[in-house]
Amino acid sequence: MSNLLKGNFTVKRNIEVNEKNETDDLATDFRKKALESIGGSMVFVEREKLFWEDPDSKVDK
Amino acid sequence: MTTTVGRISPNFEKLSGEITSIGLNWHAKTIVENSKWNKKHISKTIKNVPMPTGEKEKSAIVISAGPSLYKNNILSRIKASGYKGSIIAIDGSYVRSIKADLEPDYVLTLDPHPTRLVRWFGDPDFEKNLEGDDYFSRQDLDIAFRTNSIDENRRNIALVDRCGKDKKLIICSAAPRNVVERTASVGFDAYWWAPLVDNPEKPESLTRAIVRETKLPAMNTGGTVGTAAWVFALTVLKIPRIAVVGMDLGYYKADTSYLQTQTYYSLRDQVGEENIHEYFPEFVYPGTGERFYIDPTYYWYRSNLLDLISASGSTVFNCTGGGTLTGDGVECVEIEKFCELSK
Repeated sequence: MSNLLKGNFTVKRNIEVNEKNETDDLATDFRKKALESIGGSMVFVEREKLFWEDPDSKVDK
Repeated sequence: MTTTVGRISPNFEKLSGEITSIGLNWHAKTIVENSKWNKKHISKTIKNVPMPTGEKEKSAIVISAGPSLYKNNILSRIKASGYKGSIIAIDGSYVRSIKADLEPDYVLTLDPHPTRLVRWFGDPDFEKNLEGDDYFSRQDLDIAFRTNSIDENRRNIALVDRCGKDKKLIICSAAPRNVVERTASVGFDAYWWAPLVDNPEKPESLTRAIVRETKLPAMNTGGTVGTAAWVFALTVLKIPRIAVVGMDLGYYKADTSYLQTQTYYSLRDQVGEENIHEYFPEFVYPGTGERFYIDPTYYWYRSNLLDLISASGSTVFNCTGGGTLTGDGVECVEIEKFCELSK
């Protein structure tokens, strides 16, 4: 965008354009939509343990 | 072994891999809030589930809700085989199973979604919960539900009211209030568990926090309810031979266009129409030669499940008859053969 629009005056206040955020937002938006659109989805980051009990809270109800 | 037709590009892998952290951020607050709210309903945990005996301790079939369940007439084939082992339905396949006269021994539910999930048990607030949400009308595998949702929901309420009483419900602490209230009002026999969503040995672990709060054992979900049902059969019921059906983890190429997938529009916006093929790599199912393709989210589920199968050192019998789930630890067989060998 900055390659196409060039000003011929100086603005009083500096405006920072965060181009990285635009890309990040698109990517994040996609992932959120992807997750939202899938039924049965759940977070998952543990790839070894299948079952776990806290040794300190093992109370059979 | 599946033949991968399309190359899995580094961009595809990267996008799929990032779903984990996004998912954690997306769900973390809901999981914790629901777990806290559900504490007052917890009277039994999955450790209190009576162990299966006889034929039911020897083998199990996990019924997921992919399109192959219909296309391959899986439910009627299980029924016709006279299978006597354990049957574990997920929430999304429960009603279909009882309509097929296949009574599951257990029903497993996981997803914390506040309005969608309750429909699997017959939703008393169906029309309100349907407002502005085309999720089911786009992709419900039950055609009757797509075309005549309100009447079908009414019939499902009556069906679940009739069949759900005392049915063993394996319910995640993250379940939304309406699912908890609906299943309690029907009279399901609820056994609770916490989702194992990260490494509980780490002090900052979300799993550890939920377990401390609820005093529940934690079970890995692999990201999806079908995988959680397999983990339940293996680690809680200790069943040695487990088959999965309806576990497509992909789309039929022959009759599903990219536009009909769950992620097409958001993918197109991100990567552009010209690159879209890169994000739908194809697979060939070895038993039939049929072609399937996969999107980043399904690929993520598939990778999670294959990792957990590897970690468990067990074999999964995939009787789906299609889809993308093949690899180390997965044996693809026809459902009749699994049922016969399980006798």
